[in-house]
Amino acid sequence: MLELRPILSALWRHKISALLIALQLGLTLAIVSNASVVIQEREERIARPTGIAEADIVTAHFMPIPKDYDLLEAFRLDMDMIRQLPGVAAATISRAPLAGSGSSGGFHTKPHQEVGSTGAAFFSGDEHFIDALGMKLVAGRNFTPSEIRIMESSSSERPTITIITQQLADTLFPEGNALGKSLYFGGDDNPMEIVGIVERNLGPWPNSSVAGNTVFFPAIMETQWYDYIVRAEPGQRDAVLKLLEEKMAERDAERVIEVKTLTEQKTRYYAGDNTMIKVLTGVVSLLTFIVALGIVGLTVFWITQRQKQIGVRRALGATRTAISRYFLLENLMIAATGVALGTAAAQIFNQFLASEFGQPALPLSTTLVCAFILLAVSLTSALVPALRAANISPAMATRSV
Amino acid sequence: MIGYYISLALRSLRRTPILSALMVAAIAVGVGAAMTTLTLNYMMSRNALADKDDVLYAVQLDNWDPHEAADNPSEMPWEITYKDAISLLRSDIPTYHVAMHRWGGPITLEDSTLRPYTAQARVTSRDFFALFDVSFVYGGTWAGEADNNAVFQVVLNKSTNEKLFNGENSVGRTINFNGAPFTVVGVVEDWHPSPKVHDLNNGDFMKSADIYIPFGLHRVLEIQTWGNTNGWKPEKIESYEDGLGAEYVWVQYWVQLDSAEQRQRYEDFLTGFIQEQKSQGRFPRPLKFGLSKPSEWLVLNEVVDGDDRMLNWLSLAFLLVCLVNAVALLLAKFLRKAPETGVRRALGASRSAVFSQHLVESGCIGLAGGLIGILLTLAGLALIRQLSMGYMDSVASMDWLMMLSAIGLAILSSLLAGLYPAWRISRTNPSIYLKTQ
Repeated sequence: MLELRPILSALWRHKISALLIALQLGLTLAIVSNASVVIQEREERIARPTGIAEADIVTAHFMPIPKDYDLLEAFRLDMDMIRQLPGVAAATISRAPLAGSGSSGGFHTKPHQEVGSTGAAFFSGDEHFIDALGMKLVAGRNFTPSEIRIMESSSSERPTITIITQQLADTLFPEGNALGKSLYFGGDDNPMEIVGIVERNLGPWPNSSVAGNTVFFPAIMETQWYDYIVRAEPGQRDAVLKLLEEKMAERDAERVIEVKTLTEQKTRYYAGDNTMIKVLTGVVSLLTFIVALGIVGLTVFWITQRQKQIGVRRALGATRTAISRYFLLENLMIAATGVALGTAAAQIFNQFLASEFGQPALPLSTTLVCAFILLAVSLTSALVPALRAANISPAMATRSV
Repeated sequence: MIGYYISLALRSLRRTPILSALMVAAIAVGVGAAMTTLTLNYMMSRNALADKDDVLYAVQLDNWDPHEAADNPSEMPWEITYKDAISLLRSDIPTYHVAMHRWGGPITLEDSTLRPYTAQARVTSRDFFALFDVSFVYGGTWAGEADNNAVFQVVLNKSTNEKLFNGENSVGRTINFNGAPFTVVGVVEDWHPSPKVHDLNNGDFMKSADIYIPFGLHRVLEIQTWGNTNGWKPEKIESYEDGLGAEYVWVQYWVQLDSAEQRQRYEDFLTGFIQEQKSQGRFPRPLKFGLSKPSEWLVLNEVVDGDDRMLNWLSLAFLLVCLVNAVALLLAKFLRKAPETGVRRALGASRSAVFSQHLVESGCIGLAGGLIGILLTLAGLALIRQLSMGYMDSVASMDWLMMLSAIGLAILSSLLAGLYPAWRISRTNPSIYLKTQ
């Protein structure tokens, strides 16, 4: 039924061309499967939950011009004004998370330790920060207004209480019950009691090794600039952004104010990963396209070359289906060889990428899915020329050329 | 002869427009992808200090944790402590030396309608402009005493001077920076090397400073760096002064050493300095310091990161697929003309003549592919500029050298692709075709 032997002997006469097609498909499979595993990993990383209501948050970067500036008074006036604005759900004074800028340090569970610290990012915030960021308190309590202190950035004064993320709690106290235990910053001996645990917060650098380990201090750090974090009611973010820009300048124009959405800052942080995803997607689709074009070109060429033979076969009684089937089978055999080569090449290429650039390992299932798709693309490209071949008239056999 | 071959090639290409277009497209896409990433990598590995590569050195001192080395390929902190910077500045061995870090703050002008805005500043010792060859438009650098004492002087770059003083000679005028009045002593050309070789701790391709402030102002202004601060030692820090004396590293340090002998003397000086500090209980690790040329510094800091190099490999693999594709299509195209070639051979064309004729045809396809490839590269770079949201603006652009390389790459790859098909067709046996005709 299946004319495998004649196909093989015909292919043998075109071995170089057939091998070139197989080689193309193989290389393409190696590239496409490795690219898709990278794309997948980056997409998952970007889609990770951040633990905060990022879609509703607007931040106002505020830099006073320090000339006898009454900072506390400015905070009070600004916060009162902001909380009155229509559409504002909550507001606080802290630093914007997910934006690629912040502080981190090593934390211990015992005083006076020199080695073995756990890295974590730290933020300072007041009693509104959980609400303003839209985080979920899963254990313990929030800070109270009387616990918030104004701290100079150069002092090593430490707070006595802290709120941390669940992830950090699990890392530092694997046996559980982190609540009520103490943390030590660096190698010092000042205990900071854990009074609350929030579900999640990726911190300032979601791509770093400390992402998710986050510590909050009940303080407002005196620095050169501050971020007001304002959470809008759902759907009100853009209106709040405009209003905030306007009202803050209205209240005091003699300062630097930059208002942005948190989504924009997160997108900016992930710009590199995003570029990688888009570029790789482009590479994958272009490559598949080029290979499909190549297959179309070559199949058309072979059919033109074999017009006379096709005519003879038709004259001898072969059906149209038989002719189309012949070329599709031929294509399938070449593609299968290519894909088999490609599966091996994909693994080798992946070894190289993993050892050289720390890319994720390529699971066989991904290669198989890509292989299947490529086989389908290859057959589809051969389909139109193969169907056209079936239209070649048996009369062709009687022509001399 | 070449002219005749080219006209033959064009005629042959016109006869099979679809197959020819496919080949041109394959080469163009392959070259476009490869050149986009090659251009990025080429621009990222540029060295703005190439002219002074033999005399400039980034200085590293290993004051790190006795239990573990600093976590980077050089195993030394990238920056040095404030107190070490002050000590090193006392040496008279280097031709020039610079201690510096990134800073910033709001700028305002008295009696002006200008809205306050954030300026990027560089707090630096006075040799900065001489060491990095940044030339002055007006005025000059501050006096040496400003590196040790509080002198409120500032050097603006040209754009800032344009913005604040409409580009006039502003030497002697006053600006308000961070709430304090500063007297302008000089205006320099805008200097934004990309990658930012002199400061690789704060975004390799971002803009550099707008204004320059003397290094002697730390205590009066309680300056906290806008760059990276790293530390390993738990220390009690009660005041700003404690912070300046701590083991935190946050100052970038560069020297110019014009001769081998000068470099040797400076190495001896650094060795002596670390030994002296060791005797006072500092520098607990084995004695180690680093003097890296700008070119070495760029490599050490991995300016071209893993993603970029991976894309480079990927796009070369892409080009390879496009080449294999072109080989297959060229083979098909040439073999189709086998009867014609058979006649030419029978009429006396030598094998080498047939071979070179077909190679010229491949070259023509390559040229067309290269030209379209340049357009695709420009589109690819524009896409990357847009996707990277400003981080890549300074590197995602093409210069004439890269354009020429694109055409070169296209022609070279199509000639390579044409080698086997042209050889194959030149082996045509004339007798078969003479018989069937």
